[in-house]
Amino acid sequence: MGWKEAAEPVLTRMPAVQRPQKHVPFKRKLAWTAGILVLYFFLTNIQLLGIDAAASEDLFGEFRAILAGEHGSLLQVGIGPIVTGSIVMQLLGGANLLGLDTDDPRDQVLYQGLQKLLVIVMTALTALPMVFAGGFLPVEPALQLGGFTFDQTQIQALMFLQIFAGGVLILYMDEVVSKWGIGSGIGLFIIAGVSQMLVAGFVSPSEEGFFYSWYLILTGQIEVGSIVGGDGLYTLLLGQGDIIALLTTVLIFAIVVYAESVRVEIPLSHARVKGARGRFPVKLIYASVLPMILVRALQANIQFMGQILNRQTGDASTIALFGNELPWLGVYDAQGQPVSGFFYYFAPIYSPDDWMWWTGEVTQEAWMVMVRVSVDLTFMIIGGAIFAIFWVETTNMGPKATAQQIQNSGMQIPGFRQNVSVVEKVMERYIPQVTVIGGALVGLLAVWANMLGTIGAVTGTGLLLAVSITYKLYEEIAEEQMMEMHPMMRQMFGKE
Amino acid sequence: MDRGQNTGGLMSSAGLVRYFDAEDSNAILINPKTVIATGVMLGILVQLLTFVS
Repeated sequence: MGWKEAAEPVLTRMPAVQRPQKHVPFKRKLAWTAGILVLYFFLTNIQLLGIDAAASEDLFGEFRAILAGEHGSLLQVGIGPIVTGSIVMQLLGGANLLGLDTDDPRDQVLYQGLQKLLVIVMTALTALPMVFAGGFLPVEPALQLGGFTFDQTQIQALMFLQIFAGGVLILYMDEVVSKWGIGSGIGLFIIAGVSQMLVAGFVSPSEEGFFYSWYLILTGQIEVGSIVGGDGLYTLLLGQGDIIALLTTVLIFAIVVYAESVRVEIPLSHARVKGARGRFPVKLIYASVLPMILVRALQANIQFMGQILNRQTGDASTIALFGNELPWLGVYDAQGQPVSGFFYYFAPIYSPDDWMWWTGEVTQEAWMVMVRVSVDLTFMIIGGAIFAIFWVETTNMGPKATAQQIQNSGMQIPGFRQNVSVVEKVMERYIPQVTVIGGALVGLLAVWANMLGTIGAVTGTGLLLAVSITYKLYEEIAEEQMMEMHPMMRQMFGKE
Repeated sequence: MDRGQNTGGLMSSAGLVRYFDAEDSNAILINPKTVIATGVMLGILVQLLTFVS
């Protein structure tokens, strides 16, 4: 029993948001959630003090859609550190390296503390290279505050403090929503970011906006070219016309909403009350698409490393370590995008322009593109399945935990003995299989959506997350409202 | 009513961060209003400093 005792004094003292003492009325919950959402948008609009906004470049790049936050604002890191911290917790917990029993109250406190500490450490680790390494956040040449002039290093330190404060604030904002509001803060921030991008992708009055592009096409201001020759077709489908992106976006919506209802239902009956029947649903997207964030974040972290290494080498296009050029590791173009090497193959596909080699937009050989697509697919499908398994285990949705819940509610599976291990056996026939299939399917869907493009470049993962979180939120609100109307229900839902 | 559904904390897993009911008496407890107030104040402070600089 080594680390637990050693870390206990620190972990048990991590500041936490108070829990409500009694039931929070639905309207009050809605108010807390809306309040945090307004605060989130407010903070994304506050520019960092000391940043030279014009020269800066987003380190998160295309990952911004799922990591929330806003580049150059107080919420620069978004939920990145929370996700990275969660990956570590999932891996440690899933492999059972922590030795924490989440049914034991003392271990629960330790788990919560460790989780918080990890996120805070990750916030510092994400913010440090952003500010100090390679000019992702270039500072203003001079900053004067009340007669005091800051030099470059001091401005950087000031920026680091702001980003760090913003990152810690996000963690506590999530906690407020989780304890006092509806759903979770992280879900809320993801929906907020993705919806913002999606709406902008439709109505933005520039060539990026879907409607505006079509206005330009119909009034002849965008040259479409000959449909028969292929050029016109390209413009309409993949270029400014974005028809394929529109179809993908709509299709993802439809698929997720449909897949939410695909489930294996295990019949239940009450042991004592005759006639009280129910069903336990094992959903196809059982583990939901949240584990997908973890896979994407893993890819994002690999890409950050590449970007940071690339910045260290100055103007040269090839990554150099200790004076040796390492072209196999990564070669970057003028825009800071990897064009070959390890970091190229491990970069996810974001848009049709990343892989449709026959259109002439891609500078790489066809086989290089193929390798990159297969690496992305493998990563997302296998990674999706693995993280889904860990997710189910660590969030108490596994066979053992659900069997216990069914037992506690006094239900049983008709035709089987009323015994936890019997119910667990039945659950084991469905839950692991459904989880793996669901995780892999969601991974495939995300890559496919990215390959065809989405409106507003929200990415497949962003869209999948937004739709399924919204769906969950809707279910949760419906449940809340029902409990408001019938206080008896609260007991049935297992809440006090 | 479909009793099997949503029984016992199944829905509590929408977030990446897990919060349990257990709390240590040593822990520093923050009022949720304090979190919002801190956020608003941080934003206003940074914005004000940007104006004066």
